Amino acid sequence: MTTADTTRPVTGTRRLRRPRGLTAHVFLMVAVLISVFPFVWTIVMATNTTEDIYKSPPKLTFGSHLLENIRHMLNTIDFFGSMLNTIVVAGVTTVLVLFIDSLAAFAFAKFDFPGRKVLFGTLLVFMMLPLQLAVLPQFILMSEIGWVGMLKALALPALANAFGIFWLHQYIQNGVPDELLDAARIDGAGFFRQYWNIALPMIKPALSFLAIYAFVNAWNDYVWPLIVLTDPSHVTLQVELAQLHVGHTTDYSMVMAGVLMAALPLVVVFAIFARGFIAGATEGAVQGS
Amino acid sequence: MSSPPVTGPATVPEHRGGPGPARFRPRRTPPAGTVRPSRRGVLSHWRQYLAISPFYLIFIGFSFFPVLYSLYLAFQRYDGLGTKQFVGLQQFEFLWNDPVFWLSIRNTLVIWVLSTVPTLFGALVLATLLHSVRRFKGFYRIALYVPNVTSIVAVAIFFGAVFSNNFGLVNAILGTVGISPVPWLSNPWLIKLVIALLMTWMWTGYNMIIYLAGLQAIPTSIYEAAKMDGAGPVRTFFQITIPIMRPIILFTVIISTINGLQSFSEPQVLFASNAANQNVGGPGQAGLTTLLYFYQSAFLNNDYGYGAAIVWAFFVLIMVLVVINWRLVQRGRKS
Amino acid sequence: MDLSRRGFLQAAALTAAASGLTVACGGGSGSGGTKNGKSLTMWYWGGALSDKVVAEAKAHFGSQTKLTAASIGGDFKQKLTTTLAAGSSVPDITGIKGEDIASFLPNAGRFLDLNDLGFKKISSQYLDWKTKLAQTEDGKQIGFPIDIGPTALFYRADLFRKAGLPTDPDKVAAEAGTWDDYFALGSELKKAVPGTYLINNMGSVFNIAVGQGTKRFIDENNHFIGDQDHIRAAWTTAVRAYKLGIDARINDQTWNAAIGKNLGTEVGAAWHALDIEQAAPHTKGKWRVCATPGGPANQGGSYLALPKQCRNPEEAFKIISWILSPANNARGFTDAAIFPASPASYAMPAMTGPDAFFGGQKIIEVFGPAAKAIPVSYEAPADAAVMAPYFTELTNIEAKGKKPDAAWKDAVGQAKQIARRQGVN
Repeated sequence: MTTADTTRPVTGTRRLRRPRGLTAHVFLMVAVLISVFPFVWTIVMATNTTEDIYKSPPKLTFGSHLLENIRHMLNTIDFFGSMLNTIVVAGVTTVLVLFIDSLAAFAFAKFDFPGRKVLFGTLLVFMMLPLQLAVLPQFILMSEIGWVGMLKALALPALANAFGIFWLHQYIQNGVPDELLDAARIDGAGFFRQYWNIALPMIKPALSFLAIYAFVNAWNDYVWPLIVLTDPSHVTLQVELAQLHVGHTTDYSMVMAGVLMAALPLVVVFAIFARGFIAGATEGAVQGS
Repeated sequence: MSSPPVTGPATVPEHRGGPGPARFRPRRTPPAGTVRPSRRGVLSHWRQYLAISPFYLIFIGFSFFPVLYSLYLAFQRYDGLGTKQFVGLQQFEFLWNDPVFWLSIRNTLVIWVLSTVPTLFGALVLATLLHSVRRFKGFYRIALYVPNVTSIVAVAIFFGAVFSNNFGLVNAILGTVGISPVPWLSNPWLIKLVIALLMTWMWTGYNMIIYLAGLQAIPTSIYEAAKMDGAGPVRTFFQITIPIMRPIILFTVIISTINGLQSFSEPQVLFASNAANQNVGGPGQAGLTTLLYFYQSAFLNNDYGYGAAIVWAFFVLIMVLVVINWRLVQRGRKS
Repeated sequence: MDLSRRGFLQAAALTAAASGLTVACGGGSGSGGTKNGKSLTMWYWGGALSDKVVAEAKAHFGSQTKLTAASIGGDFKQKLTTTLAAGSSVPDITGIKGEDIASFLPNAGRFLDLNDLGFKKISSQYLDWKTKLAQTEDGKQIGFPIDIGPTALFYRADLFRKAGLPTDPDKVAAEAGTWDDYFALGSELKKAVPGTYLINNMGSVFNIAVGQGTKRFIDENNHFIGDQDHIRAAWTTAVRAYKLGIDARINDQTWNAAIGKNLGTEVGAAWHALDIEQAAPHTKGKWRVCATPGGPANQGGSYLALPKQCRNPEEAFKIISWILSPANNARGFTDAAIFPASPASYAMPAMTGPDAFFGGQKIIEVFGPAAKAIPVSYEAPADAAVMAPYFTELTNIEAKGKKPDAAWKDAVGQAKQIARRQGVN
């Protein structure tokens, strides 16, 4: 087999599967409907009144109460304040994760040094560790250094992102040719110059995938903020959102307006970057071919 | 918790040129031309150590040390405010005799099976279908992936509204065809089913993308050979696609095991405690997962030592399950 | 060991921070050294205090102190415990729920002794039993009583009329003097108005029935007594409602959908009136209140406390004693159905007026006498934790159809376990 075969595997499969094309589309469309329906229904609930939702049968069409529900929601929780906190935490976390992980991944992928295998091995083991093991002591640790209630208590643990290193390591190994690094070294470029000038520009797709991954994770994180952000004026969007839901007087259309507004930014960001994101996710796989 | 990292590349076989059919080399094979500086002792590599140090420092401080410390806590009695008191193995003895702990383990396992099996099977089927079509590929990928970028909190609130016993959409629809309301959020099995549905909805598209990456790497010559042997699509799927995808499937199974066993936010938000409902984890504690029980013990009952014991016992359980999974898949491979 | 560990942690954290992390951090109320801070923060939860009185307190003390009040959603006790444990961003004034106060007593050192600040002089204005529940054995007062939760029977007069039952509070009280009479009434109601239930779930009956006694789950000598007759009787009462089919078995978040529809009665504390009012505004004027079957109990009722980190204890104490003065307490009742712990309030016009939601009934005539007749019982720090399995098992009966006897056995078994874990013998 030659390399050419593996880079264009689609042609063969396509030939093989063509007769089932329509059936496949039908199945896929059903799946898409299931996957998109909750978004549509959230909008329906957010645009109607709670009485419409409680009614049986409930109202199935879009209503005209969206602004009213949003206003009510904004009066109940500090939506934009908590969103700002979330953006700050997710943004800072993402940038630092990209930097820390790419630097370490570069060292692991392209250099041999004593202890490399062992260190990289521990990394893989810890990818498997449930984070909950650490939650309790992490909280005590944050208390001891006086960070409970502060946003930096959220960002720091998230920086130890073993997955990012692993992911970039795979990518750099195959995606950054050694010849380029050799040439740069002959030109007198040191380790950090090689990293900055050669490796970084070449792994942009992988970085953009990791960026979205880290950002989405930080944005959606719930348990740790729930525990560590004790100061009610400094919570994140997810915690604030969950608070909307608690209590006797659950006003569902108002809650749904909050759900909608909290989910929307990510979905929009994702829709914009989706092409690159999914390409990044699948590309790493075929890098070696 | 933030979802554990999952991606395809990890186990996607690399196809470097070479004779014979694609071989699946261990991914830790060092790249052909790794730059190997001469070994002049540890110090000469200070740049590399510096480069990896930020990660390891944060990692030691905020992950490794806390994990060890939680083991220490599991041998203490500590309410988070007063003083710690060494109690030996007492917490584990309590744990062993605590029916709620075992109930929470059962709940977690049931929810895990109910969500992982359909998620992975569905993802594999969807990936195969998606791999076979030519048009709208990009659209499908995005539309099917989008559930994964929504937050568990938002999704749990949504599911709570839709499956609500008295005024949910699902019961309303059932009502129009004459089916009396189904107690989705009070029957112990249905509670688990709803939680599992939620997780399936969120994670199918995600695993599909991973499988798709794997499928794209399968050389076409294999399929052509199969076609020449007269194998139909279904047989091809079970006899070629699945065996070749085994490493990726193994990877997703392990990650889903870790991920699925850590369900916490779903029942926590779904059954947020309030005055009308003092049960953490819903009626009959049917949605009480182990991590939720941990949260309840540590942070609601201020029993930090017991919480630490719960989470460590649970960790051992996950490890056992991962090893069993791995063994099963390995054995299947040999046969 | 401890010191070096802390040093290590700090070093690790600092190194990490030095590696380039600068995050905007919350300007929480740090534990500054001075004790005459000009701004104070107060934590409470929605409905714990009258928002109007709090707003007035801000204005009233505005010239010397900036009071920031934060209404905390979610699990209040967890938030407070973790914050106290952390020691940073601690509020200067905090609410503590009645059911949680006992669990804070072993850590009374985390709070200021209100007696030192002058509570002793005014304590006679507040119900003695309520004050005592927030007192350590050596007489340290950590909580300032806000309110109490004398229970009553809330009922839908319109549904009662439909069923041909009496609707006048005195007559209903007379007919529903005991739990049995009350359940008999409920069976009639259900027969006459199909689909109507008497109680929302067994847990609420159990909770009140336990509160009607003078003993709870743990006695003064730190012995577990949750397997004794007084608890068993409360349990049996709750189960009887279930067996009679008058239990709506609501254990999810659909209470607020049901309260305006098919719940004919609710047994609950005074503050529960606000829950009903908010969940079912359209039933205004249809509800009435009368004495609890089997006698009054207390359910909930909260405190204000000053954590040790309070930046200005004198001023903070002035503020809370102003907010909780009998006159302001009376207004809290009008605004938010908060039933004062100060008996002097009960005679004030703000409390004796008719309540439109209850069809113009003067509900103080029910709650006032109930407040004075509440039995006093000892509540151990672990009481709430030990009580939890009983609720769980009652729910198991409702959700899974578990046999009540088996449920009782499991509840007692688990309660014993938790008691042992919490150091009860």
